[in-house]
Amino acid sequence: MSTAAAAARREHSGVVSWLTSTDHKKIGVLYCVTAFAFFLVGGTLAGMMRLELADPGRAFFEPGTYNGLFTIHGTVMIFLFVAPFGSGLANYLIPLQIGAPDMAFPRLNLMSYWLFTSGGCLILLSGVASAGGGAQMGWYAYPPLSAGRMSPGVGPDIWILGLGLVAVAAVMTAVNIVTTVFLYRAPGMTMWRLPIFTWNMVIVSILGLVAFPPALAGFALLFLERRMGGLAFAPAAGGDPVIFQHLFWFLGHPEVYILILPFFGVITEIIPVFSRKPLFGYTGFVLATLAIGALSTGVWAHHMFTTGAVDNPFFAAMTLLIAVPTGVKFFNWTGSMWGGKIVFPTAMLFSIGFLLNFLIGGVTGVMLAAPAIDFHAADSYFLVAHFHYTMMGGAVFGIFAAIYFWYPKMTGRMLRERMGKAVFALMFIGFNVTFWPQFEAGLRGMPRRVVDYPANAGYETPNLLSSLGYVVMAVGVLFFLADLWVSKRKPVEAGDDPWDGYSLEWATTSPPPEHNFDAIPPIRSERPAFDLHHEGADG
Amino acid sequence: MKPFVRYLWVLTAFGLGVGTLYWFIAHEVTGAVLLWAFGLMPLIVGLWALRHGASRNAPVAPEDDPNADPSTDAGTSVGSFPAVTVWPIFFVLGLLLAGAGLIYGLILVPPGLALAAFAIHGLMRESRQ
Repeated sequence: MSTAAAAARREHSGVVSWLTSTDHKKIGVLYCVTAFAFFLVGGTLAGMMRLELADPGRAFFEPGTYNGLFTIHGTVMIFLFVAPFGSGLANYLIPLQIGAPDMAFPRLNLMSYWLFTSGGCLILLSGVASAGGGAQMGWYAYPPLSAGRMSPGVGPDIWILGLGLVAVAAVMTAVNIVTTVFLYRAPGMTMWRLPIFTWNMVIVSILGLVAFPPALAGFALLFLERRMGGLAFAPAAGGDPVIFQHLFWFLGHPEVYILILPFFGVITEIIPVFSRKPLFGYTGFVLATLAIGALSTGVWAHHMFTTGAVDNPFFAAMTLLIAVPTGVKFFNWTGSMWGGKIVFPTAMLFSIGFLLNFLIGGVTGVMLAAPAIDFHAADSYFLVAHFHYTMMGGAVFGIFAAIYFWYPKMTGRMLRERMGKAVFALMFIGFNVTFWPQFEAGLRGMPRRVVDYPANAGYETPNLLSSLGYVVMAVGVLFFLADLWVSKRKPVEAGDDPWDGYSLEWATTSPPPEHNFDAIPPIRSERPAFDLHHEGADG
Repeated sequence: MKPFVRYLWVLTAFGLGVGTLYWFIAHEVTGAVLLWAFGLMPLIVGLWALRHGASRNAPVAPEDDPNADPSTDAGTSVGSFPAVTVWPIFFVLGLLLAGAGLIYGLILVPPGLALAAFAIHGLMRESRQ
């Protein structure tokens, strides 16, 4: 499909045009900015929890309020920050990477953004401004805890409604991405030449299409139970609360891969560029991602080992199997760096930080895949640390890597490398000081989701360290915001291809024109921009 | 056959296969149904694609041809893209109003649904222009 055939758009500017634009780049930026704003809210909630837990003895919050903090923190970070940031990057990058003028369904794209934003606002509202009680039942809202008798008030209802809107938005985005990639590629951009980020987003989107509808059904049944006397999860009436767990985790575990695979894609775009080598084992990498996506649909009940209501060996085996393709990816990444002329701009540092953190998160995940260990560590701080090593140390480091890598493409301006390296140092040190001690606290038996803990039980030092680490990370985020501000106030022009990048977006201007490309170069490999810029040279 | 249809068949086989395996191992209904439904979803899309020209005998599309030149489909119409639209916002407002009605009072549901329907009508009219 030719961009020359793309229909013309009239130029629009101003806030209203941003909020009503169907241009995939504007919607992508809106997604990223909105998601980052939610990250600041979720991070503030985390800070409130770390403040409470820095010392034993209750200081600031009632137990119910604390329950609300971790409920909204978890929901915000998972559904309103990491996943939508991936959607934002996909919106911005996929048409550029495949040589399309826009997403397949521009209006649907805008609708999904507004569903996400309004759902996110409802979720925040459910925690703070709900008559009769906010949402305080944890981000997976198991009945009977989430049923009307145990969680009264309208807060949980608003939370369910908000989550429903966010889920519908995710499904719409998934439909858009799959259709765009399958049908809107430029001539020569075969599936086996797709940039890895785009490939990963296709797999993520298919996972979303598979996983979100069952969870939506579960939440709809929960809503009916709370508001209209539904009995699907009431054992006394023949219902079964474990069904909700199945429906939720059929989303909940693929969701972990929905969160992390986009950023596998991000660092796979970054590492080869800064190693000055092609990706090591492109085909193996794609097949490994397909394997991860497929296997992730068969592991949901490893979150339910302790219910005694699932087949533990089946889910343990499926979960352990996922470690194999994930290990393949680590070979791809290290192989891509091996023997390369590696340079270390901020995006590369965050990518390497991702690898180190995610490796720890992955290895502890393999440990938890064994039911015997899971029975011991379930609902302890060990689990909290494992989860944050994958999601924060992995996905969030991937997000920062993506920002430092593609910000010049999106704005035409550079971020400051020295400030970026300070951001990385603060984030990396702060992250590990925050979450490594939580492994220790968990192994000593500290349960998660408690507002207080006893003195002299071995929990004080890990918790104090965690709270101090949070402060270091928060300073890192402030440095990052300062970096954005400096870049805006004293712009340094980026040029079209500041990194000598590989994929097609580096073959157009920074920022790209409204129709994306004035001319698409011939696509003869998975590195068309590199081929274009090094035509005639060995490469 | 378009390559993406092949991926859909693989997904179908995986979902139905793992669902069946799970059923024989775990004898648990919810998970088995979820996995079988996962297999059926790409089957439906794949069959639809086959009926609409993605068959084995269809000519190779430029995007699937590794030697295709960028000019191959120059001039192919891709339709028109709206620069801005307000209808999605009205649609979401309608949904919010209807959703609020489920929580605060059913009287809000009809105007919410009416607003959403009005927005859909607007979207359809706009897309035909």
